[in-house]
Amino acid sequence: MTDQDIRLPKAALDRRGFLKGTAAVGAGAMLANMPITRHAFAQGAKGGTLRARAYADIDALDPGFYQNAYNVDVMNCIYSKLIHYKPGREWDWELQAAESIEQVDSTHIRFKLREGMMFTGGYGEMTAEDVKFSFERIIQHDSPVKGDWGPLERVDVEDKYTGVIVLNEPFQPLWNITLPYGCGHIVSKKAVMEATKNGGNFGMEPPCFSGPYVLAEWKPDQYVKLTRNPDYTGPDEVAFDEIRIFPMDDEKTAEIAYEAGDIDYTGISLASLNRYKQDKPDNTTIREHPSLYYVWIGMNTDHPKLKDKRVRQAIQYAINVPQILQAAYFGQAEVANGIVAPGLIGHRERTIVPPEGNQAKAKQLLAEAGAEGLEVTVDTLNASKWKTIAEIAQAQLAQVGITLQINVQDSGSFWTLGMESEGDRWKDLQLIINRFSMVPDPYYATQWFTCEQVGVWNWERFCNEKYDKLHNKAVSETDPEKRDRMYREMQDIMEESGAYRFLTHEGSPIMYRNTIVEPATRPDGRPLYRYANKA
Amino acid sequence: MRTSDTTAAEESRAEADTVRGAGALLQTWRLLRRDQLGMLGLVLVVIMVGSAIFADLIVPYDPTQIMVGPRMAPPSWDHLLGTDHLGRDTLSRVIAGGQVAFLVALASLGAALSFGLLLGLTAGFGPQWLDNGFLLLFDGVRAFPVIIFGLATVTLLGPSLWTVIFVVAVTSIPIYARIVRTQTQAMKNNEFIVAERAMGAGTPRILGVHVLPNVIGPLLILASMDVPLVITTEAGLSFLGMGVRPPTPSWGTILNDGYSYIRNSPWPVIAGGIPIVITTLGFTFLGEALRDIFDPKLRKDL
Repeated sequence: MTDQDIRLPKAALDRRGFLKGTAAVGAGAMLANMPITRHAFAQGAKGGTLRARAYADIDALDPGFYQNAYNVDVMNCIYSKLIHYKPGREWDWELQAAESIEQVDSTHIRFKLREGMMFTGGYGEMTAEDVKFSFERIIQHDSPVKGDWGPLERVDVEDKYTGVIVLNEPFQPLWNITLPYGCGHIVSKKAVMEATKNGGNFGMEPPCFSGPYVLAEWKPDQYVKLTRNPDYTGPDEVAFDEIRIFPMDDEKTAEIAYEAGDIDYTGISLASLNRYKQDKPDNTTIREHPSLYYVWIGMNTDHPKLKDKRVRQAIQYAINVPQILQAAYFGQAEVANGIVAPGLIGHRERTIVPPEGNQAKAKQLLAEAGAEGLEVTVDTLNASKWKTIAEIAQAQLAQVGITLQINVQDSGSFWTLGMESEGDRWKDLQLIINRFSMVPDPYYATQWFTCEQVGVWNWERFCNEKYDKLHNKAVSETDPEKRDRMYREMQDIMEESGAYRFLTHEGSPIMYRNTIVEPATRPDGRPLYRYANKA
Repeated sequence: MRTSDTTAAEESRAEADTVRGAGALLQTWRLLRRDQLGMLGLVLVVIMVGSAIFADLIVPYDPTQIMVGPRMAPPSWDHLLGTDHLGRDTLSRVIAGGQVAFLVALASLGAALSFGLLLGLTAGFGPQWLDNGFLLLFDGVRAFPVIIFGLATVTLLGPSLWTVIFVVAVTSIPIYARIVRTQTQAMKNNEFIVAERAMGAGTPRILGVHVLPNVIGPLLILASMDVPLVITTEAGLSFLGMGVRPPTPSWGTILNDGYSYIRNSPWPVIAGGIPIVITTLGFTFLGEALRDIFDPKLRKDL
């Protein structure tokens, strides 16, 4: 991930620079101690800086290969797409780079770009040819997220601004995920071809930008600095001159940083929610959003110790979910019945294995499998919430005679554990505590657990023909009720495989300084920095 | 009538005679008793090491058993240091954490001392090219920042007690090796060594019987002063979630968990911090007192 374009910090700091820096820090500290002054300053000055926190540092900036939601938060600012999620409490979309977009029939979508949307770096105006390139390269280069584009056949260019997206078959998630999310971003064909020769993944070196912000600086593990794009001619008036995103994977760290005045906008942990509700920091608003995340304990079905389905089911039955949630989330999170959150198509009303589990059943299953005295490992992130989940699960498994060893990983090493492309560690993976982000279409959750995703994001290596068939069928099913039933059945198959113990969808409360920012978010609380307003 | 001068001279001669065998220990003890800070250090060290050795006997609860009490409870008669976020007894975890800390200290310093001695003696007594090669290696390893090196190693080998021991040992070896090398070189041309050589003694005999006893004393004192350093390294790695595996208690994990829930209760942080402070003070005081005793240049009574 080394990069020439993204300027890394200069290693040497001369004396003068140091003095300047400390003076600035001193001034900053003075401002921080004078909220009224800062308030006036923030309102009076045009622009200003929004300092926000992300739960992880960016690791992909090519929208065609976007990987994770925290990368899309940045992409949303530096690129433009045909349509985007409308900020608010209800899931909806609005036009962004497109002047109009219409569904011609179930497999054809015609769009017309706004005129005069410019790429930076002299790469000219955004055209239908760029749209075609941006979408088709995702399929051509076998992107890990090509599932988002499902049955894309091609994009036909009609004239400079107009084109038609042609699908092989109807694809419902197109409007909920594909176009308004990561894969919908439009990159410059000329710039990407120059940078990569074949149009493949440009990784962390965006050759040019098309959003109201540009990536001015990225200091890995320190901050991402986005500044106003002077060449931007699109429809969005952005409020802040600069957005600085600080990666902090530990929520408590973020909360302390917020209270210290280092950041003005952060998600907070459910463990702290109650305390903050009772004792709010000054000038602070707390907003609770339902979360779409899903947290589960997965089991590697290919591992010799877990190959027997009865062993996996025994682990499912040994885990008492409400007890885990009580400890890890201080009772502020609800039990999840699957991977699709309430309020979305495909949400399951109940689980097969009761949330409280059943120790007698677990012991019986273990005995049947002849696996008494089983010793397994669980891999988890090193933040306290995940460690707590692991430690409670460890105690619960011990009660049925399973010894659980906890491997704590830092985020860099954790997120590649089950990937075959990153070495052989997937072979040793046994249990894993995992959480995926989600967008408002059930297809987005189910796509990671197909046979094709084994060793990519499907770390349980769960592979079921019927599941895959249903997954493929459900994306083009136009009857919402039938679609709902299909997704529920898929989650039944997942649970019956024994590879998954669903825990929770969490919740996503956010906290911000109401003297600085009026944030714009999706209904699930994810930031849309581009639409944030000044207070 | 003898003058006081002769008395002193005779006494010191007598003292010198007793600096052999058991007498040396006794004399050290006498000197140590005169040093108040040193004695305080010794008491602290005895308490901490003793509680670590007898941890299994004295813990009031199983340190890994969750929900033995209410969560995040303040100190009470049932739980003298309160309980943590999983309702575990903090006192029991602190005592058991000491076991981990001292195990790491003993194992890693033991390994570092043995390898350091071996490499240092070889470098100091061996040919010039070998010495240069070893020096390059020592300085190369020493150039790594310990925690960063630790994090990288943990990522490669996976977090465990043995990884922590490995990290500490590897980063400590060059320090001891360099000291041993210098001492050996200083001694190499001493007359008694030259005499030994003239009598036809082999290198192993010279190193083992004549050089080693002369360098090991200062080295042991140095190691005792390094104990807190090792313990804080272990605690640091555990604090970052990269040390011992949960639920094994370690002062670092107690601190980290305590930090996460510091708004709910300050007691876990206090409970995790105090033993580190006590151990550091104990070993530093004791180490300094011993150094003063064994280093003739610092002895005020000679």
